[in-house]
Amino acid sequence: MTRGADLALVAVLLLAAAAALVFGGPAASPGEALAALSGSGSPEVRTIVLGLRLPRLALALVVGAALALAGAALQALLSNPLADPFLLGISGGGAAAATAAYVVLPAAALGVVPAAAMAGAAAATGLVWWMARGPLGPSSTRMILAGVAVNAATSAAILTMLALAPSPRLPGVIAVTMGSLASASLGQVGWLAPYVLVPAFVLLLHGRDLGLLATGEESAAALGVEVATVRRRVFLAAAALCGGAVAFAGVIGFVGLVTPHLCRLVWGGSTRRLLPRAALAGATLTVLGDLLARRVLAPAELPVGVVTALLGVPFFVALLRRSA
Amino acid sequence: MTLLRASALSGGYGGDEVVHAVDLAVAEGECAAVLGPNGAGKSTLLRLLAGILPASSGNVELRGKSLLAWRRREVAREVGFVPQIVNLAFPLTVTEVVQQGRAPHLGPWRPPSPRDHAAVEAAIARVGLSDRSTVAVQRLSGGERQLVLLARALASEPRLLLLDEPTAALDVRHQLELAGILHQLVSEGVGAVLVAHDWNFALRLAQRLVVLHHGRVWAAGPPEDVMRPELFRDVFGVEVDILRRDDGPPMVLPRTLAKR
Repeated sequence: MTRGADLALVAVLLLAAAAALVFGGPAASPGEALAALSGSGSPEVRTIVLGLRLPRLALALVVGAALALAGAALQALLSNPLADPFLLGISGGGAAAATAAYVVLPAAALGVVPAAAMAGAAAATGLVWWMARGPLGPSSTRMILAGVAVNAATSAAILTMLALAPSPRLPGVIAVTMGSLASASLGQVGWLAPYVLVPAFVLLLHGRDLGLLATGEESAAALGVEVATVRRRVFLAAAALCGGAVAFAGVIGFVGLVTPHLCRLVWGGSTRRLLPRAALAGATLTVLGDLLARRVLAPAELPVGVVTALLGVPFFVALLRRSA
Repeated sequence: MTLLRASALSGGYGGDEVVHAVDLAVAEGECAAVLGPNGAGKSTLLRLLAGILPASSGNVELRGKSLLAWRRREVAREVGFVPQIVNLAFPLTVTEVVQQGRAPHLGPWRPPSPRDHAAVEAAIARVGLSDRSTVAVQRLSGGERQLVLLARALASEPRLLLLDEPTAALDVRHQLELAGILHQLVSEGVGAVLVAHDWNFALRLAQRLVVLHHGRVWAAGPPEDVMRPELFRDVFGVEVDILRRDDGPPMVLPRTLAKR
């Protein structure tokens, strides 16, 4: 059953990736896109497929995997099904810093927006950790409450800046706060790679520890987990994954929260089994979400974060009712 | 052989010391019960013994070597800790929960070997849940869940069990079942420290009693030495009848609140 579901997941991922390359605007029909992929076709179409759609697909894959992996790890770490990069204020911190950069900096300096997002996510992470600290280290409950507080503060900051932002900068701000993969380049993906690969390795390394932590700190410690070390590493890794995602794609909500829950329905609650599958499923969902974002109101484009939220909310409600 | 020895052990949370200068030893095939009123420091003492909570002073030796010199995973192979509750935020089957008990024997990447699977199956069989191994733990009764937690601790094949009020959620049938399993384990040479509120459950199993009051040892020794009406009056504030029996351990019958 697990093997079949694994194969199905990989198949859906490959199909979604192919669809993202083949289906797009009228500038390159599916037939022309296929021709371009096989090495023939006009140079214009090749540019569209390989120069625009391929980087966008690559960024969607990496960002989706990063967000879902971070969500699955944080849910286990805090033994809380609600935990995700968004709830913990990490995404909000990145988005607020990126928004500030958009609003304040001159046009020539907008290249530092991703760096600002990274720094904002890191600052929010540090703040949540500091607020949640206690005699025995940060507690799960305090961490989630601290995340809610940081999230509220960053939302207020973003809305204030939106109200004050000069109108030419609004599209950039909206791309950050609602998520967009429109400006993807292969250079960005290369830049993002270490921020995803290293933390992903750390999380997979601690997959078994995370499964134990999901049943509580005391019981994990009793089964040999170095709770303080693992918690610090996992939290930093999840923050790096999320900071990297926000830096290049803005806030794409619900992928980190919903993907692990969907995967648990299929593969059960074992965190070690869940992590790699959540990464693949998150990549798939984000690619599909971006495809819909591009196509639903074409030629206009929706922010991908809006689509993932529209898809995620009904799933989430269904999960909630199922558990009742 | 002495498995665990605590000497002048103190500890607590932050600056608050909850347990003060406790001495306690458990040998192979011996069960020591820790009793005392709510807030006496029983669960804290158990965490200190397991090394989950660092001691502020004093010392715990596991098989003659200071707990501080052991790696956490090595301790987890020797000591099975049965917490009062675990957080079940996500759906797991009985087998999946019991498999967690093998974690101290596994590396980060290595999947469980046939030897690991055998240990898990044996632990599930020991608590009598073999026919429920694929059921989600969330669907089990409180008593069955407690047995799952015991099986999880047994899966690592520990020499010593630390149990934190294992009967708190159990009906009388499950209590007797648990007592039978623990009795068997102790007779096979496993050592046990049992934190309990239920004197009669503790008396079924323990050769030695340790009574904590305000974090200090108030009385310790064999049940017949420890169990005096004055102890119940002074420590618990109750008057009891102690029924000595020929065919089993004594029983405690609480009568009334003691006059202050």
